[in-house]
Amino acid sequence: MFKKLIEESTGKSPWLFHINAGSCNGCDIELVSVLTPRYDAERLGFKLSGTPRHADIVVVTGPVTQQSLARVLRTIEQVPEPRCIVTMGSCPQSGNVFRGSYAIAGPLSKYVHVDVDVAGCTPKPEAVIDGLVKATEILREKRRAMK
Amino acid sequence: MFTPAFFTTALLYLGYILIFPGFLFCFVIGLLLCGIDRKAVARMQKRVGPPILQPFYDFFKLCGKETIVPAAASRTTFMLAPLVGLAALVVIQLFIPVFNFRVFRNLPEVADMIVILYLLLIPAVSVMLGGAATGSPYAGIGLSREMVTVLAVELPLVMVLLSVAKAVGNELGTGLVFSLSGVVDYQAAHGSLIGHISMIPAALAMLLIIPGETGNHPFDAAEAETEICEGLLAEYSGAPLGIYKLSHAVKMLTLTSLFVALFLGGIGTGVEHLVAAVGLTGAVAGAVSLILQVLILVLLCIVLTLVTISFVHAVTARLKIEQLFKYYWTVVTGLALISLVLAWYGF
Repeated sequence: MFKKLIEESTGKSPWLFHINAGSCNGCDIELVSVLTPRYDAERLGFKLSGTPRHADIVVVTGPVTQQSLARVLRTIEQVPEPRCIVTMGSCPQSGNVFRGSYAIAGPLSKYVHVDVDVAGCTPKPEAVIDGLVKATEILREKRRAMK
Repeated sequence: MFTPAFFTTALLYLGYILIFPGFLFCFVIGLLLCGIDRKAVARMQKRVGPPILQPFYDFFKLCGKETIVPAAASRTTFMLAPLVGLAALVVIQLFIPVFNFRVFRNLPEVADMIVILYLLLIPAVSVMLGGAATGSPYAGIGLSREMVTVLAVELPLVMVLLSVAKAVGNELGTGLVFSLSGVVDYQAAHGSLIGHISMIPAALAMLLIIPGETGNHPFDAAEAETEICEGLLAEYSGAPLGIYKLSHAVKMLTLTSLFVALFLGGIGTGVEHLVAAVGLTGAVAGAVSLILQVLILVLLCIVLTLVTISFVHAVTARLKIEQLFKYYWTVVTGLALISLVLAWYGF
Protein backbone atom coordinates (compact mmCIF):
# COMPACT_ATOMS: atom_id res chain seq x y z
CA MET A 1 0.00 0.00 0.00
CA PHE A 2 2.81 2.35 0.96
CA LYS A 3 4.59 1.64 -2.30
CA LYS A 4 1.43 2.45 -4.25
CA LEU A 5 1.05 5.70 -2.32
CA ILE A 6 4.59 6.74 -3.19
CA GLU A 7 4.04 5.76 -6.81
CA GLU A 8 0.85 7.82 -7.06
CA SER A 9 2.52 10.78 -5.34
CA THR A 10 5.54 10.63 -7.67
CA GLY A 11 3.24 11.35 -10.60
CA LYS A 12 1.52 14.19 -8.81
CA SER A 13 4.44 16.18 -7.49
CA PRO A 14 7.08 16.65 -10.21
CA TRP A 15 9.61 19.36 -9.40
CA LEU A 16 11.44 20.89 -12.33
CA PHE A 17 15.04 21.89 -12.70
CA HIS A 18 15.90 24.01 -15.67
CA ILE A 19 19.30 23.92 -17.39
CA ASN A 20 20.18 26.47 -20.04
CA ALA A 21 22.66 24.76 -22.36
CA GLY A 22 23.42 27.74 -24.58
CA SER A 23 19.82 28.66 -25.31
CA CYS A 24 18.82 31.96 -26.93
CA ASN A 25 16.59 32.64 -23.88
CA GLY A 26 13.38 32.18 -25.90
CA CYS A 27 12.61 28.75 -24.44
CA ASP A 28 13.64 29.88 -20.96
CA ILE A 29 11.06 32.65 -21.00
CA GLU A 30 8.47 30.27 -22.41
CA LEU A 31 9.14 27.75 -19.61
CA VAL A 32 8.59 30.46 -17.02
CA SER A 33 5.33 31.43 -18.73
CA VAL A 34 4.10 27.88 -18.10
CA LEU A 35 4.24 28.64 -14.38
CA THR A 36 2.50 32.03 -14.57
CA PRO A 37 -1.16 32.55 -13.60
CA ARG A 38 -2.34 32.10 -17.21
CA TYR A 39 -1.15 28.49 -17.61
CA ASP A 40 -0.43 27.74 -13.94
CA ALA A 41 1.38 24.41 -14.10
CA GLU A 42 1.37 24.38 -10.27
CA ARG A 43 -2.21 23.06 -10.44
CA LEU A 44 -0.61 19.80 -11.62
CA GLY A 45 2.01 19.95 -8.87
CA PHE A 46 4.85 21.35 -10.98
CA LYS A 47 7.27 23.54 -9.10
CA LEU A 48 10.53 25.11 -10.21
CA SER A 49 13.28 24.06 -7.81
CA GLY A 50 16.54 25.91 -7.38
CA THR A 51 18.83 22.92 -7.01
CA PRO A 52 19.15 19.65 -8.95
CA ARG A 53 18.99 17.67 -5.68
CA HIS A 54 15.31 18.56 -5.25
CA ALA A 55 14.32 17.94 -8.85
CA ASP A 56 12.44 15.11 -10.58
CA ILE A 57 12.35 16.44 -14.12
CA VAL A 58 15.33 18.14 -15.78
CA VAL A 59 14.34 20.53 -18.54
CA VAL A 60 17.20 21.23 -20.96
CA THR A 61 17.00 24.17 -23.37
CA GLY A 62 19.58 25.24 -25.94
CA PRO A 63 21.73 23.33 -28.45
CA VAL A 64 24.23 21.97 -25.82
CA THR A 65 27.34 23.94 -26.64
CA GLN A 66 30.86 22.50 -26.24
CA GLN A 67 31.29 24.71 -23.18
CA SER A 68 28.09 23.60 -21.46
CA LEU A 69 28.20 19.86 -22.21
CA ALA A 70 30.27 18.80 -19.19
CA ARG A 71 28.19 21.00 -16.86
CA VAL A 72 24.90 19.66 -18.22
CA LEU A 73 25.98 16.05 -17.73
CA ARG A 74 27.31 16.74 -14.25
CA THR A 75 24.10 18.51 -13.23
CA ILE A 76 21.94 15.67 -14.55
CA GLU A 77 24.00 13.19 -12.51
CA GLN A 78 23.18 15.15 -9.35
CA VAL A 79 19.44 14.60 -9.73
CA PRO A 80 18.28 11.72 -7.51
CA GLU A 81 16.51 8.71 -9.07
CA PRO A 82 13.81 8.39 -10.37
CA ARG A 83 14.43 11.27 -12.77
CA CYS A 84 13.25 12.29 -16.23
CA ILE A 85 15.00 14.37 -18.85
CA VAL A 86 12.89 16.61 -21.04
CA THR A 87 14.38 18.65 -23.87
CA MET A 88 12.58 21.84 -24.73
CA GLY A 89 12.69 23.43 -28.17
CA SER A 90 14.29 22.11 -31.32
CA CYS A 91 17.86 23.00 -30.30
CA PRO A 92 18.73 20.16 -27.89
CA GLN A 93 16.86 17.73 -30.13
CA SER A 94 18.52 18.47 -33.47
CA GLY A 95 20.73 21.52 -33.18
CA ASN A 96 18.14 23.64 -35.00
CA VAL A 97 19.75 26.54 -36.92
CA PHE A 98 23.05 25.89 -35.14
CA ARG A 99 23.35 22.39 -36.66
CA GLY A 100 26.83 21.75 -37.97
CA SER A 101 28.41 24.57 -36.02
CA TYR A 102 31.85 23.91 -34.53
CA ALA A 103 30.61 25.22 -31.17
CA ILE A 104 27.82 22.66 -30.78
CA ALA A 105 28.24 19.30 -29.02
CA GLY A 106 24.55 18.28 -29.24
CA PRO A 107 22.09 16.74 -29.82
CA LEU A 108 21.70 15.84 -26.16
CA SER A 109 20.48 12.31 -26.92
CA LYS A 110 24.05 11.40 -27.97
CA TYR A 111 25.11 11.59 -24.30
CA VAL A 112 22.11 10.76 -22.07
CA HIS A 113 18.77 9.02 -22.45
CA VAL A 114 16.16 11.69 -23.19
CA ASP A 115 12.61 10.79 -22.07
CA VAL A 116 10.52 13.46 -23.77
CA ASP A 117 11.31 15.87 -26.61
CA VAL A 118 9.16 18.97 -26.95
CA ALA A 119 9.91 20.34 -30.40
CA GLY A 120 9.28 23.87 -31.63
CA CYS A 121 11.13 27.15 -31.79
CA THR A 122 9.87 27.95 -29.26
CA PRO A 123 7.18 25.39 -28.32
CA LYS A 124 3.85 26.80 -27.17
CA PRO A 125 3.18 26.65 -23.42
CA GLU A 126 0.40 24.11 -24.09
CA ALA A 127 2.92 21.84 -25.81
CA VAL A 128 5.36 22.25 -22.92
CA ILE A 129 2.69 21.31 -20.36
CA ASP A 130 1.74 18.31 -22.52
CA GLY A 131 5.36 17.18 -22.66
CA LEU A 132 5.82 17.62 -18.93
CA VAL A 133 2.66 15.61 -18.17
CA LYS A 134 4.00 12.81 -20.38
CA ALA A 135 7.24 13.00 -18.41
CA THR A 136 5.34 12.57 -15.11
CA GLU A 137 3.81 9.37 -16.48
CA ILE A 138 7.29 8.10 -17.35
CA LEU A 139 8.43 9.17 -13.89
CA ARG A 140 5.69 7.04 -12.33
CA GLU A 141 6.72 4.07 -14.46
CA LYS A 142 10.33 4.53 -13.38
CA ARG A 143 9.28 4.65 -9.74
CA ARG A 144 7.29 1.40 -10.23
CA ALA A 145 10.36 -0.27 -11.71
CA MET A 146 12.49 0.71 -8.70
CA LYS A 147 13.01 -2.03 -6.03
CA MET B 1 5.30 -1.60 39.26
CA PHE B 2 4.06 -3.57 36.24
CA THR B 3 0.41 -3.45 37.23
CA PRO B 4 -2.42 -3.19 34.66
CA ALA B 5 -2.76 0.49 35.61
CA PHE B 6 0.86 1.07 34.64
CA PHE B 7 0.27 -0.48 31.23
CA THR B 8 -2.89 1.52 30.55
CA THR B 9 -1.08 4.73 31.49
CA ALA B 10 1.87 3.79 29.28
CA LEU B 11 -0.50 3.00 26.42
CA LEU B 12 -2.32 6.30 26.97
CA TYR B 13 0.91 8.30 26.80
CA LEU B 14 2.02 6.34 23.75
CA GLY B 15 -1.29 7.30 22.15
CA TYR B 16 -0.67 10.94 23.09
CA ILE B 17 2.79 10.88 21.54
CA LEU B 18 1.93 8.94 18.39
CA ILE B 19 -1.65 9.90 17.66
CA PHE B 20 -3.54 12.80 19.11
CA PRO B 21 -1.57 15.86 19.97
CA GLY B 22 1.54 14.04 18.85
CA PHE B 23 2.88 12.75 15.59
CA LEU B 24 -0.16 11.77 13.49
CA PHE B 25 -2.13 14.91 14.38
CA CYS B 26 0.88 17.12 13.60
CA PHE B 27 1.49 15.28 10.32
CA VAL B 28 -2.08 15.52 9.01
CA ILE B 29 -3.02 18.99 10.23
CA GLY B 30 0.41 20.49 9.52
CA LEU B 31 0.46 19.34 5.91
CA LEU B 32 -3.19 20.34 5.54
CA LEU B 33 -2.37 23.88 6.73
CA CYS B 34 0.50 23.96 4.24
CA GLY B 35 -1.82 22.85 1.42
CA ILE B 36 -4.48 25.40 2.33
CA ASP B 37 -1.78 28.08 2.40
CA ARG B 38 -0.53 27.17 -1.09
CA LYS B 39 -4.07 27.05 -2.46
CA ALA B 40 -4.99 30.39 -0.86
CA VAL B 41 -1.88 32.11 -2.21
CA ALA B 42 -2.68 30.74 -5.68
CA ARG B 43 -6.28 32.00 -5.50
CA MET B 44 -5.05 35.43 -4.38
CA GLN B 45 -2.78 35.49 -7.47
CA LYS B 46 -5.76 34.46 -9.67
CA ARG B 47 -4.34 31.00 -10.28
CA VAL B 48 -6.10 27.66 -9.92
CA GLY B 49 -3.40 26.44 -7.57
CA PRO B 50 -2.30 22.97 -6.52
CA PRO B 51 -4.76 20.58 -4.86
CA ILE B 52 -5.09 20.94 -1.07
CA LEU B 53 -3.41 17.55 -0.69
CA GLN B 54 -0.31 18.65 -2.65
CA PRO B 55 2.03 18.73 0.42
CA PHE B 56 1.07 15.09 1.13
CA TYR B 57 2.01 14.15 -2.45
CA ASP B 58 5.26 16.07 -2.11
CA PHE B 59 6.09 14.32 1.16
CA PHE B 60 5.36 10.80 -0.11
CA LYS B 61 7.19 11.47 -3.36
CA LEU B 62 10.27 12.61 -1.46
CA CYS B 63 10.08 9.41 0.63
CA GLY B 64 10.40 7.43 -2.59
CA LYS B 65 13.36 9.35 -3.97
CA GLU B 66 17.00 8.40 -3.78
CA THR B 67 18.89 10.11 -0.93
CA ILE B 68 22.24 11.43 -2.07
CA VAL B 69 24.70 12.10 0.75
CA PRO B 70 27.35 14.57 -0.46
CA ALA B 71 30.93 13.30 -0.29
CA ALA B 72 31.95 16.25 1.90
CA ALA B 73 29.09 15.72 4.35
CA SER B 74 29.16 14.13 7.78
CA ARG B 75 26.72 11.28 7.25
CA THR B 76 25.32 10.88 10.78
CA THR B 77 24.58 14.57 11.29
CA PHE B 78 23.19 14.84 7.78
CA MET B 79 20.67 12.02 8.33
CA LEU B 80 19.78 12.65 12.01
CA ALA B 81 19.38 16.45 12.06
CA PRO B 82 15.93 16.48 10.35
CA LEU B 83 14.57 13.87 12.76
CA VAL B 84 15.71 15.85 15.81
CA GLY B 85 14.00 18.98 14.51
CA LEU B 86 10.72 17.17 13.85
CA ALA B 87 10.82 15.44 17.26
CA ALA B 88 11.27 18.79 19.02
CA LEU B 89 8.21 20.19 17.24
CA VAL B 90 6.08 17.17 18.18
CA VAL B 91 7.18 17.60 21.81
CA ILE B 92 6.10 21.27 21.75
CA GLN B 93 2.72 20.19 20.41
CA LEU B 94 2.38 17.86 23.45
CA PHE B 95 3.00 20.83 25.79
CA ILE B 96 0.54 23.24 24.16
CA PRO B 97 -2.89 22.84 25.79
CA VAL B 98 -5.88 22.34 23.48
CA PHE B 99 -8.27 24.50 25.53
CA ASN B 100 -9.14 22.22 28.48
CA PHE B 101 -7.34 19.17 27.17
CA ARG B 102 -3.72 18.75 28.18
CA VAL B 103 -1.42 15.79 28.03
CA PHE B 104 0.36 16.42 31.34
CA ARG B 105 -2.78 17.10 33.37
CA ASN B 106 -1.22 15.57 36.48
CA LEU B 107 1.94 17.62 36.17
CA PRO B 108 0.78 21.24 35.74
CA GLU B 109 4.25 22.59 36.49
CA VAL B 110 5.92 20.68 33.67
CA ALA B 111 6.92 22.64 30.57
CA ASP B 112 6.04 26.30 30.88
CA MET B 113 6.58 28.95 28.22
CA ILE B 114 10.33 29.02 28.77
CA VAL B 115 10.63 25.35 27.78
CA ILE B 116 8.58 26.01 24.65
CA LEU B 117 10.89 28.93 23.84
CA TYR B 118 13.91 26.63 24.09
CA LEU B 119 12.24 23.84 22.12
CA LEU B 120 11.29 26.26 19.34
CA LEU B 121 15.00 26.86 18.81
CA ILE B 122 15.77 23.18 18.18
CA PRO B 123 14.20 22.92 14.69
CA ALA B 124 16.15 26.00 13.59
CA VAL B 125 19.35 24.60 15.11
CA SER B 126 18.72 21.21 13.49
CA VAL B 127 18.32 22.72 10.04
CA MET B 128 21.49 24.75 10.62
CA LEU B 129 23.41 21.66 11.77
CA GLY B 130 22.19 19.56 8.87
CA GLY B 131 22.88 22.28 6.34
CA ALA B 132 26.32 23.04 7.72
CA ALA B 133 27.15 19.32 7.64
CA THR B 134 26.76 19.30 3.84
CA GLY B 135 29.61 21.73 3.32
CA SER B 136 27.78 23.52 0.51
CA PRO B 137 28.53 27.24 0.03
CA TYR B 138 24.80 27.93 -0.40
CA ALA B 139 24.25 26.32 2.99
CA GLY B 140 26.94 28.59 4.42
CA ILE B 141 25.05 31.71 3.34
CA GLY B 142 21.77 30.16 4.46
CA LEU B 143 23.31 29.32 7.83
CA SER B 144 24.33 32.89 8.60
CA ARG B 145 20.96 34.22 7.46
CA GLU B 146 19.02 31.60 9.45
CA MET B 147 21.01 32.55 12.55
CA VAL B 148 20.17 36.24 12.08
CA THR B 149 16.49 35.38 11.54
CA VAL B 150 16.39 33.33 14.74
CA LEU B 151 18.02 36.16 16.68
CA ALA B 152 15.66 38.71 15.16
CA VAL B 153 12.51 36.74 15.98
CA GLU B 154 13.54 35.54 19.43
CA LEU B 155 13.59 38.95 21.13
CA PRO B 156 9.99 39.98 20.30
CA LEU B 157 8.79 36.44 21.07
CA VAL B 158 10.31 36.62 24.57
CA MET B 159 8.68 40.03 25.10
CA VAL B 160 5.29 38.71 23.98
CA LEU B 161 5.50 35.74 26.34
CA LEU B 162 6.66 38.03 29.16
CA SER B 163 3.76 40.44 28.68
CA VAL B 164 1.25 37.57 28.63
CA ALA B 165 2.84 36.17 31.80
CA LYS B 166 2.67 39.60 33.46
CA ALA B 167 -0.92 40.28 32.39
CA VAL B 168 -2.16 36.97 33.81
CA GLY B 169 0.04 37.35 36.89
CA ASN B 170 -1.39 40.82 37.58
CA GLU B 171 -4.96 39.56 37.40
CA LEU B 172 -4.25 36.61 39.68
CA GLY B 173 -1.93 38.62 41.93
CA THR B 174 0.88 36.07 41.70
CA GLY B 175 3.58 38.03 39.90
CA LEU B 176 4.43 36.31 36.63
CA VAL B 177 2.55 33.22 35.41
CA PHE B 178 4.82 31.31 33.04
CA SER B 179 2.81 28.10 33.03
CA LEU B 180 0.99 27.80 29.72
CA SER B 181 -1.76 25.70 31.28
CA GLY B 182 -2.08 28.40 33.97
CA VAL B 183 -2.59 31.01 31.22
CA VAL B 184 -5.22 28.86 29.52
CA ASP B 185 -6.97 28.12 32.84
CA TYR B 186 -7.12 31.85 33.57
CA GLN B 187 -8.66 32.50 30.15
CA ALA B 188 -11.16 29.66 30.60
CA ALA B 189 -12.35 31.33 33.81
CA HIS B 190 -12.12 35.03 32.82
CA GLY B 191 -12.40 35.17 29.02
CA SER B 192 -9.73 35.33 26.33
CA LEU B 193 -6.71 37.59 26.77
CA ILE B 194 -7.30 39.20 23.37
CA GLY B 195 -10.12 41.13 25.10
CA HIS B 196 -7.63 43.05 27.27
CA ILE B 197 -6.42 46.36 25.83
CA SER B 198 -2.87 45.66 26.97
CA MET B 199 -2.74 42.39 25.02
CA ILE B 200 -3.76 43.70 21.60
CA PRO B 201 -0.26 44.96 20.62
CA ALA B 202 1.25 41.68 21.85
CA ALA B 203 -1.22 39.69 19.75
CA LEU B 204 -0.31 41.78 16.70
CA ALA B 205 3.38 41.20 17.40
CA MET B 206 2.73 37.46 17.71
CA LEU B 207 0.90 37.49 14.36
CA LEU B 208 4.02 39.07 12.80
CA ILE B 209 6.29 36.58 14.55
CA ILE B 210 4.48 33.56 13.02
CA PRO B 211 5.74 34.02 9.40
CA GLY B 212 9.22 34.92 10.66
CA GLU B 213 9.51 31.85 12.83
CA THR B 214 8.24 29.50 10.10
CA GLY B 215 10.48 31.18 7.51
CA ASN B 216 7.65 32.18 5.17
CA HIS B 217 7.43 35.14 2.83
CA PRO B 218 8.56 37.94 3.24
CA PHE B 219 10.88 36.68 5.99
CA ASP B 220 12.42 33.79 4.03
CA ALA B 221 15.82 35.32 3.32
CA ALA B 222 17.39 32.18 4.83
CA GLU B 223 15.69 29.90 2.30
CA ALA B 224 15.28 32.15 -0.75
CA GLU B 225 14.99 29.42 -3.40
CA THR B 226 15.37 31.86 -6.31
CA GLU B 227 18.56 33.31 -4.90
CA ILE B 228 20.54 30.76 -2.84
CA CYS B 229 18.71 27.51 -3.80
CA GLU B 230 16.87 27.13 -0.46
CA GLY B 231 20.17 27.76 1.36
CA LEU B 232 20.53 25.15 4.06
CA LEU B 233 18.45 22.58 2.17
CA ALA B 234 20.41 22.95 -1.07
CA GLU B 235 22.16 19.57 -0.75
CA TYR B 236 19.26 17.61 0.76
CA SER B 237 17.29 15.12 -1.30
CA GLY B 238 14.85 12.28 -0.71
CA ALA B 239 13.36 11.41 2.67
CA PRO B 240 15.47 13.83 4.83
CA LEU B 241 14.30 16.70 2.61
CA GLY B 242 10.73 15.44 3.04
CA ILE B 243 11.13 15.52 6.81
CA TYR B 244 12.40 19.11 6.66
CA LYS B 245 9.38 20.05 4.53
CA LEU B 246 7.16 18.29 7.07
CA SER B 247 8.84 20.15 9.97
CA HIS B 248 8.18 23.41 8.19
CA ALA B 249 4.49 22.48 7.90
CA VAL B 250 4.28 21.34 11.53
CA LYS B 251 5.87 24.59 12.65
CA MET B 252 2.92 26.45 11.12
CA LEU B 253 0.58 24.34 13.27
CA THR B 254 2.74 24.77 16.38
CA LEU B 255 2.92 28.54 16.18
CA THR B 256 -0.72 29.09 15.29
CA SER B 257 -1.87 26.79 18.11
CA LEU B 258 0.53 28.61 20.46
CA PHE B 259 -1.20 31.84 19.46
CA VAL B 260 -4.59 30.25 20.20
CA ALA B 261 -3.37 29.07 23.62
CA LEU B 262 -1.90 32.48 24.50
CA PHE B 263 -4.64 34.81 23.31
CA LEU B 264 -7.80 32.87 22.46
CA GLY B 265 -7.81 30.27 25.26
CA GLY B 266 -11.25 31.29 26.53
CA ILE B 267 -13.18 29.79 23.63
CA GLY B 268 -13.08 26.27 25.07
CA THR B 269 -15.36 27.19 27.97
CA GLY B 270 -18.16 28.15 25.59
CA VAL B 271 -17.97 24.69 24.04
CA GLU B 272 -18.33 23.02 27.43
CA HIS B 273 -21.36 25.15 28.28
CA LEU B 274 -22.84 24.28 24.90
CA VAL B 275 -22.30 20.55 25.44
CA ALA B 276 -23.80 20.81 28.94
CA ALA B 277 -26.79 22.73 27.58
CA VAL B 278 -27.56 19.95 25.09
CA GLY B 279 -27.83 17.60 28.06
CA LEU B 280 -24.80 15.36 27.66
CA THR B 281 -23.01 14.22 30.82
CA GLY B 282 -20.03 12.16 31.92
CA ALA B 283 -17.61 10.55 29.48
CA VAL B 284 -19.78 11.27 26.43
CA ALA B 285 -19.81 14.99 27.20
CA GLY B 286 -16.03 14.93 27.69
CA ALA B 287 -15.45 13.18 24.38
CA VAL B 288 -17.86 15.41 22.44
CA SER B 289 -16.44 18.63 23.87
CA LEU B 290 -12.89 17.43 23.19
CA ILE B 291 -13.74 16.71 19.55
CA LEU B 292 -15.45 20.09 19.22
CA GLN B 293 -12.52 21.86 20.84
CA VAL B 294 -10.05 20.17 18.50
CA LEU B 295 -12.19 21.14 15.52
CA ILE B 296 -12.30 24.74 16.73
CA LEU B 297 -8.54 24.71 17.24
CA VAL B 298 -7.97 23.43 13.70
CA LEU B 299 -10.37 26.01 12.32
CA LEU B 300 -8.62 28.84 14.20
CA CYS B 301 -5.23 27.55 13.02
CA ILE B 302 -6.49 27.65 9.42
CA VAL B 303 -7.78 31.20 9.84
CA LEU B 304 -4.52 32.31 11.45
CA THR B 305 -2.50 30.65 8.67
CA LEU B 306 -4.59 32.44 6.05
CA VAL B 307 -4.14 35.80 7.76
CA THR B 308 -0.51 35.64 8.85
CA ILE B 309 1.10 33.41 6.23
CA SER B 310 -0.95 33.29 3.01
CA PHE B 311 -2.13 36.90 2.88
CA VAL B 312 1.28 38.28 3.83
CA HIS B 313 2.91 35.98 1.25
CA ALA B 314 0.61 37.19 -1.52
CA VAL B 315 1.10 40.92 -0.93
CA THR B 316 4.80 41.24 -0.09
CA ALA B 317 8.20 40.62 -1.64
CA ARG B 318 11.18 39.10 0.16
CA LEU B 319 13.03 41.37 2.60
CA LYS B 320 16.79 41.56 2.69
CA ILE B 321 18.28 40.02 5.82
CA GLU B 322 19.24 43.37 7.38
CA GLN B 323 15.77 44.79 6.66
CA LEU B 324 14.26 41.72 8.33
CA PHE B 325 16.43 42.19 11.41
CA LYS B 326 15.66 45.89 11.68
CA TYR B 327 11.94 45.26 11.20
CA TYR B 328 11.77 42.71 14.01
CA TRP B 329 13.89 44.67 16.46
CA THR B 330 12.01 47.94 15.93
CA VAL B 331 8.39 47.45 14.83
CA VAL B 332 7.59 44.04 16.29
CA THR B 333 9.64 44.46 19.46
CA GLY B 334 8.10 47.91 19.87
CA LEU B 335 4.60 46.44 19.74
CA ALA B 336 5.53 43.79 22.30
CA LEU B 337 7.16 46.43 24.50
CA ILE B 338 4.00 48.60 24.48
CA SER B 339 2.09 45.53 25.60
CA LEU B 340 4.58 44.75 28.34
CA VAL B 341 4.46 48.32 29.72
CA LEU B 342 0.64 48.36 29.62
CA ALA B 343 0.50 44.96 31.32
CA TRP B 344 2.96 46.11 33.96
CA TYR B 345 0.67 49.02 34.90
CA GLY B 346 -2.32 46.73 34.96
CA PHE B 347 -4.39 47.75 31.91
